[in-house]
Amino acid sequence: MSIAAINEQLLRAIGVGVALLDLDTLRLRFCNDTFREWFGEIEVGQHLIDLFSGFDVEALKEALNGEGRYTTETTFRLRRRTMTIAMAFNRALDGDEAIAVLVCQNISRIKELESMIDSYSMMVERNTREIKREKEQVEKLLLNMMPRSVYEEYKTFGIVTPRLYDPVAVVCLDFIGFAEMVTAHDPGVIVSELNDIYTAFDRIGEQFGCARIRAVGDLYIGVAGMPDPTEDHAQSAANAAVRFLRYLKQRNATHPIQWTCRVGIAAGPVVGSVVGVQKYIYDVFGPAVVHASRLRYHAGPMQIVGNRALIDRLDDQYVARPSGQAELTEGRKEDLFAIEAEVPAAQDT
Amino acid sequence: MTKSLFEKYGGFSVVSKIVLDLYDRLLDDDEVGPFFDDVEMARIVDHQTKFISSLMGGPASYTDDQIEKMHARLTITDAHFDPLESIRRETLTDHGLAPEDVEAVAAAFEARRGLVVE
Repeated sequence: MSIAAINEQLLRAIGVGVALLDLDTLRLRFCNDTFREWFGEIEVGQHLIDLFSGFDVEALKEALNGEGRYTTETTFRLRRRTMTIAMAFNRALDGDEAIAVLVCQNISRIKELESMIDSYSMMVERNTREIKREKEQVEKLLLNMMPRSVYEEYKTFGIVTPRLYDPVAVVCLDFIGFAEMVTAHDPGVIVSELNDIYTAFDRIGEQFGCARIRAVGDLYIGVAGMPDPTEDHAQSAANAAVRFLRYLKQRNATHPIQWTCRVGIAAGPVVGSVVGVQKYIYDVFGPAVVHASRLRYHAGPMQIVGNRALIDRLDDQYVARPSGQAELTEGRKEDLFAIEAEVPAAQDT
Repeated sequence: MTKSLFEKYGGFSVVSKIVLDLYDRLLDDDEVGPFFDDVEMARIVDHQTKFISSLMGGPASYTDDQIEKMHARLTITDAHFDPLESIRRETLTDHGLAPEDVEAVAAAFEARRGLVVE
């Protein structure tokens, strides 16, 4: 077999579609088997525009007369499949005659893969967004249960090391006659009122550095001076407590249901830790919590009572009047102090 | 947590091959192929990618309601559903899924027969 014959066989059988066109008339001079397989039974002499409807002949001519090269894509259906063919026209000379060599590559598979990657990335992106949203919800929930620094420790190490915080100031507040209020009003009303009040307390606490640790029924507990120790923890707790009272007074003036609270504040040590394995909760316990809780029983309506450790750390803005004694620790009597302060309106929340 | 079949068999790199292969086989089949006559390629591929991924526990899922709506305008009978079933079995087996895993996918598929067959 001669080289020319081999070349021709090769050209016919190759998996690339090849055609030769007369450059002046754009009529077909030759095409190989693959070209026919893709574009159907084509006869020599057919015009390009008959083969591919909507073909931009002007753009082709301009490009071939200019840089001598033109590329485009065509898409059609073949045996239910969408075929995408990349077409490259190159100007050439056949003897003295100007011709265009058209080389066609089947890029359907590439297009299919592109579609698949598009489809898949959209699925993954959607899932990633969902996971992110869920993660944010979990984080929000956990941040309601524990301080951020504790949450970060929990997230990084999977555990929280119990830690002694000394000294901090604990504010314990409850409402006088709460049990009667619950039975006297619709449950929905009581819950809505409590939501309202606790939300206000949380906001005040956040502003003055006295974060809520627990709210169980009518008992509200906030702590100042943890997780980061602060010099003015007593001041922070007292600042928050007087504003809790002020808020309630203002609220009572405009609302039908009257809320009367009593407040105990104690300075001292506490332990902060996540307690529980399956149902875990961040809890704060220890002398300051117990003392604050007991101190509140010695407070009259809308009154704040503190221990000595606390009032020693309060500034001149506060007046602490002796208010008797009580056994905050078993078998040991301690002095109690009723705390009052003038809160300038400008400082109020 | 047990691994999904999607993870077990190598995730997207394997699933992509199964998807394209299934797509080829479905279009060649004279019972099932005509359903895709007027569907453009990008949509078939999108559909198959999600479909195979979801059957293997990958990052896609369809609710029964979605499946029902997608097939509502098509008249699909058991005569169409059965060959689809065997083509899918064949494809999964050819791509190296263990018989029990092919069965698991088949069961998930069969459970949805009522949603598409008229």
